[in-house]
Amino acid sequence: MRILGIESSCDETAAAVVEDGVSILSSVVASQLATHARYGGVVPELASREHLRAIVPVVRLALAEAKSSYSDLSAIAATIGPGLVGSLLVGLTFAKSLSFARGIPLIGVNHIEGHIHAAILDAELEFPAVALIVSGGHTHLFEVNPGFSYQLMGKTRDDAAGEAFDKVAKLLGFGYPGGPVIDQLAPYGNPRAVKFTLAKMKGNTLDFSFSGLKTAVLRWTEARDLGGEIQTRKDLLAAQAQPTVEEWLRVTPRATLDVLASFQRTVIEELLRRAVAAADACGARALIISGGVACNSGLRAATEELHLPYPVYFPSKTLSTDNAAMIAAAAFPKLKRGEFTELNVAASANLTLA
Amino acid sequence: MPTFRTASEEETIALGAKLAQGWPPGAAVLLIGELGAGKTTLAKGIVKGLGAGEPEDVSSPTFTLIHEYGRARKVYHVDLYRLDRASEASRLGLEELFDRNSVVLIEWGEKFPELLPAVRYEIRIRTTEGDQREITVTSVNI
Repeated sequence: MRILGIESSCDETAAAVVEDGVSILSSVVASQLATHARYGGVVPELASREHLRAIVPVVRLALAEAKSSYSDLSAIAATIGPGLVGSLLVGLTFAKSLSFARGIPLIGVNHIEGHIHAAILDAELEFPAVALIVSGGHTHLFEVNPGFSYQLMGKTRDDAAGEAFDKVAKLLGFGYPGGPVIDQLAPYGNPRAVKFTLAKMKGNTLDFSFSGLKTAVLRWTEARDLGGEIQTRKDLLAAQAQPTVEEWLRVTPRATLDVLASFQRTVIEELLRRAVAAADACGARALIISGGVACNSGLRAATEELHLPYPVYFPSKTLSTDNAAMIAAAAFPKLKRGEFTELNVAASANLTLA
Repeated sequence: MPTFRTASEEETIALGAKLAQGWPPGAAVLLIGELGAGKTTLAKGIVKGLGAGEPEDVSSPTFTLIHEYGRARKVYHVDLYRLDRASEASRLGLEELFDRNSVVLIEWGEKFPELLPAVRYEIRIRTTEGDQREITVTSVNI
């Protein structure tokens, strides 16, 4: 049973064809297309107008790469939220129109549920499980119960974890977004060199807060005269869009590498401490870590070192960031249950999973 | 130019709730301050003060660009931090938000003055020491 997935909740216009919820026949993300010429030379970066330009060629390419036609599809799955309404509407309206015109049932999917499924495509997941979704826009902990019903256990009260990475990178002159740069440079610094004191959380101890850590890095930077050093990095970035690790290392002194390593270690500890506590609290038999930050190799290594008594599922790196294969995969259990979505469903900017 | 001082996150949230009481339904409000100044913290109080949500519902919209709170009376919380060009920001459809008779909070909006409504509030937040903040409210009519 093939499902066409469509995702347009934020920056990426994406389409994918997934068979039986496990095998990805195609997964196209507009910004990753080799030739921008396919859709007129503009990389979709924001909002509805850019999604509009990309949606038709992206869906066509996803079907072509999957060697599928509309008649092969059992359902069309589209993200209904959370996200930017204008962006969501493009993918959802396209999916609805296709569903109506071709008589193929529609399945609305929550973007966050998509991230969960990105990690467990062909896994035999045991319930209950705990899912930690960490990206630029989300930091959530869910209990995942049989039939994929969810309960929110914790969330960020301010910045998402990925956002903290990106902002710290930018304030130190590594550009934005900068999560991957920090991950690449962290191994060259001492992760215990800088101690960040974090405010104690009141209320739900499984909630996250990364704003204070971001501010602590800002204060660390302000307390030192780093203007010249930051400028050399900005110059490097201006001369070259994607500097190599060696090039970054040439313009990054030891103390800054230490602060990057210490920052990354602190974020990872904060994430894992709560994920493990959440798993303990509900007797989890699996842990799922997904979303853009799940690409972070420091996070993956630290998770492995914990030798947790239950399996930990990470998505492949290409499925960590926004894509449509995860939307099609998340729709498969719904298809099996015959849970279809009415064509009058609305996009919901604040859609919650639980 | 009213200036307020707060000594903790809780006080900043309480101030936000109080400030929001006097605003007309379609007010555009710029939240101006450096990284970590407390713009999102103040937004938590404003959203609460307008009855559109609880402080814990309000998180940073940097990545998602626009957060929407409330049902009957909506509050939009916009963050233009990660945008570099006015052309990117203009594609967000801000004018439509300004026309909806809802309070629109904008972080990093001062980067794109040409996109802002002529009539607006500007709230400047400055760290004086540790958790202490100085918050100034200006009513702008260009």
